[in-house]
Amino acid sequence: MTYDLELLLSDQPAALERVLQTARYRGFKVRQLQMRQRGSGLQLSMQVSGPQPINILTTQLHKLYDLASLNIEQTLPQTA
Amino acid sequence: MTGAQAILTSLIEQGADRVFGYPGGAIMPLYDALLDSPVTHYLCRHEQGAAFAAIGYARATNKVGVCIATSGPGATNLLTSLADAKLDSVPLVVITGQVARAAMGSDAFQEVDVLGLSLSICKHSMQVMEPGDLQPMLNRAFAIAREGRPGPVLVDIPKDIQLGFVPEHSPRPCNTASLPQASHNDIEQANRLLAQSQRPVVYIGGGVGMASAVPQLRDFLCRTQLPHVSTLKGLGSADYHHPLYLGMLGMHGLAAANLAVQQSDLLLIIGARLDDRVTGKLDEFAPEAKIIHVDIDPAEIHKRRHANVSLLGDLQHILPALECTSSKSAWSAQIEQLKQQKGNRYEDHVKGKEIDAPSLLRRLSDLSADDAIVCCDVGQHQMWVAQHMQFSHPTRHLSSGGLGTMGFGLPAAIGAQVAEPDKQVVAVCGDGSFMMNVQELGTLRRYQMPVKIVILDNQRLGMVKQWQELFHNERYSETDLSDNPPFSQLAAAFGIASAEIADAGEVEQALTTLLEHPGPYLLHVRLNHQANVWPIVPPNTANHEMWEQAR
Repeated sequence: MTYDLELLLSDQPAALERVLQTARYRGFKVRQLQMRQRGSGLQLSMQVSGPQPINILTTQLHKLYDLASLNIEQTLPQTA
Repeated sequence: MTGAQAILTSLIEQGADRVFGYPGGAIMPLYDALLDSPVTHYLCRHEQGAAFAAIGYARATNKVGVCIATSGPGATNLLTSLADAKLDSVPLVVITGQVARAAMGSDAFQEVDVLGLSLSICKHSMQVMEPGDLQPMLNRAFAIAREGRPGPVLVDIPKDIQLGFVPEHSPRPCNTASLPQASHNDIEQANRLLAQSQRPVVYIGGGVGMASAVPQLRDFLCRTQLPHVSTLKGLGSADYHHPLYLGMLGMHGLAAANLAVQQSDLLLIIGARLDDRVTGKLDEFAPEAKIIHVDIDPAEIHKRRHANVSLLGDLQHILPALECTSSKSAWSAQIEQLKQQKGNRYEDHVKGKEIDAPSLLRRLSDLSADDAIVCCDVGQHQMWVAQHMQFSHPTRHLSSGGLGTMGFGLPAAIGAQVAEPDKQVVAVCGDGSFMMNVQELGTLRRYQMPVKIVILDNQRLGMVKQWQELFHNERYSETDLSDNPPFSQLAAAFGIASAEIADAGEVEQALTTLLEHPGPYLLHVRLNHQANVWPIVPPNTANHEMWEQAR
């Protein structure tokens, strides 16, 4: 399955790396990524795909201290 | 106040009056300030040893352990210990020096991107880039290390920030993460499942000890009289005298524990994560059991097995609310019979016989103080310790569980002895593991800590050899360690008293001498290399299909 995630991060060193590392380690591939400054934070739009339930990734992302908010925007069937 | 002085002030404010470390270029300002500080520093002989000592300190006390190292190789030497602390959820604050800010990113001498290296093996990591952030970041590091599911936090501090002036900072409580709380409805649902079950088993993990919920757990088990088993990290949580306590489950769990879990129709999992070494073949783990999963970490719920009811929150609050209103007397009788049938058997220590490691460890356990702290390395001896020694509290059994790090035992014992100077501390080591942090004998000598070392020497990398024997057609590849140094001579070189035994008739006297010796002592125990750990659950096999002896 493919998932679109919207994350708001605090603008700390390695915040983006933590998100990417977590996604990779938990078995998800990053398909699209866009990041922009939003106020004092960073807004990240990320599309990931993987065979596991998305909560395997989101419960880990919620543990990141740089994460202010996380929303799953939509769920799509995985494309080849 | 300089940055270095500010670091030490923060440590004192956080109650970290004993720290472990190793100096070097980028952390020299902090070591200079230590000379005028009330913080006591224990110099280990390798950064990995220093961090394991901090882990031993933390695990023996449930307080935050602190370790200090320099940049570059000092920082990279810490990484194994950080991963160990992450996987075993140990609260640790690790301070690394970094090259000055002006030099960062230039491949300066002893510069390494420790922040980047630490990301996947720390609960959190920070780099101080503004002097005004130094103390708030350190305070936050301690708060993060302690809160919820504990873990290691790295704080990387450039040398110029340690040398420069930092503004006064008034300590104030950090905003900590809000912890989940189990709802009344969920607790009622769990209690209903407990009442309805016919064959419940309580599966106790390391979370009980870390939540300081041992009294609440024991009270729950006393009220409900449910059969219970423990993970490696949960050992010591339950009272080992309890008639329905079955010991450790899993790959080298005791037969009664594994069989009871496999037959259960309800597992109440408390502060555990269904590790693969515990479950064996996951699809066939406790196949008829419904699951109640109690934990502080939402990420562990449904991760390996769907939970019928999950209770997220502080075990100190949840356990008193759990009850079982129906009698399980038939099941309890079955469990007691199983325990009787599958109980451990020990050999007398008779002259002229080879030493049996399980029997020696059981005798060591009987002779040691009830609150003795036992640390071990990783391998066959680690499993024998878990199977055959008894622990009065989880802070009395320090073993590298998740990462399974050889070389853990001796430095962890040093940290435990610093934390509990008046308690008996015993390091049970394998000959392979002991050599991985052997340099810490220098730390024992330096501080004359009365740590007792028992080396169970089978001249092999025993657990790997066992797998080669059982699962690789006896093709022994690089597991022969018969060229180990003479351990007694090694101890003598460090001024540590020692003895060597190879005959079962020598065990009793040797253990008595070890435990009664006033200072550090090393007992070298020679074992037959053919001895293996039983039971064993072969890979990709259900736990009830364990092998209880050689086939």
